[in-house]
Amino acid sequence: MAKIEPVNGHYIYVPFEGEEYRIFYEESGKGIPLVCLHTAGTDSREWRHQLNDKEIAERFHVIALDLPRHGKSIPPKGWWKEEYKLTAQFYSDFVTAFCRELGLERPVVMGSSMGGNICLHLALRYSDYYRALIAIEACDYSPGWWLDWLWHAQIHGGEACATAINGLMAPQSPFEYRQETWWYYSQGGPGVFKGDLYFYSVDHDFREDCEKISGKIPIYFMTGVYDFACTPEMTQKTAKKVRNSECIIMEEIGHFPMSENPVTFRKYLMPVLAKIK
Amino acid sequence: MPAFDVRWIERWQNMVNQDSVARLLGRHFTADVMLEMGPHAYVVSFERGAIGRIQHEIGAESCYQFALRAPAETWAKFVQPIPPPMYNDIIAMSHTLHGRLKIEGDVKVMWQNLRAFAWDLDLMRAIRE
Repeated sequence: MAKIEPVNGHYIYVPFEGEEYRIFYEESGKGIPLVCLHTAGTDSREWRHQLNDKEIAERFHVIALDLPRHGKSIPPKGWWKEEYKLTAQFYSDFVTAFCRELGLERPVVMGSSMGGNICLHLALRYSDYYRALIAIEACDYSPGWWLDWLWHAQIHGGEACATAINGLMAPQSPFEYRQETWWYYSQGGPGVFKGDLYFYSVDHDFREDCEKISGKIPIYFMTGVYDFACTPEMTQKTAKKVRNSECIIMEEIGHFPMSENPVTFRKYLMPVLAKIK
Repeated sequence: MPAFDVRWIERWQNMVNQDSVARLLGRHFTADVMLEMGPHAYVVSFERGAIGRIQHEIGAESCYQFALRAPAETWAKFVQPIPPPMYNDIIAMSHTLHGRLKIEGDVKVMWQNLRAFAWDLDLMRAIRE
């Protein structure tokens, strides 16, 4: 009998700011919507282990989307005319538009890196809509990544972007999974990783805004000890300022818990998911 | 702590030159690189992914395209079989938040060859003295 995963892919058209975005997403399971956001410059393949987790699928409708320009989601019309720079406003509004277009009722958002940082904006701007936020490798300010080398005609973008993030993974994470994450990173479109990092390192400066979060939505911060872009100390400092938040530091893991070490990540994630009703 | 002396750097040279992946990834990697490891400094000449010459008598006329400079204590952490957090990678050590390694010179050459160069540096962890 053929070995086929219980994961289905779909395309949805999301009307947003006068455009219609053709967005790819994968889904599995039934129950509370759990929307998974990929890291900068890559796509929903990072979440394949969680999409295939039977125990998660029993309680959650797991959905992983490719943002515009990423994976199988095509860019907006006229994308070639200007430099791509992701902003907090576009990102948070677009993710919310996607969830609403799918008809999701009070979804949970779980994102890593830039997908973790955007959780702070979702908490501030959409406190009536989301049920809970799982902000992985997130903090209020993560400078130092908006680099020209990541989009340069004389540098192989795939190899440079992927190798730039390689050290964000823990040496204890299985080499195969680290290489797989490298592979995803090698496949972003030109300038996409750098454009995402505009949000990650420039537009996302939430240092003065943490205290403005109402606390209506629980936020679970989860950071790996090998994350040198968002260190455990940076997450802890942020979490202290955010009402109704918890901070979990993960040993022997780095910036890409879901893809670099799904087994270790699961030990930390399952107790968090158990708290979400 | 590793000695980072000439014998040590020549062991690394042998490891790189015997590693088939290093040769595959570095087939276009030709550059002269300064490695400063505390009191020791070398100009390492990569030639199509292999390490050809290593100069250890550095003077005013020594030429190289880019340089990596860090205290011996920093390199000692980097070369541990399981390096501690923030020391497992040159991008980590040189990141603006950490500043444990200085990368100078024609940095574009490093970025052009980053995959091969990082692979080669990781081989330092297998050196046994």
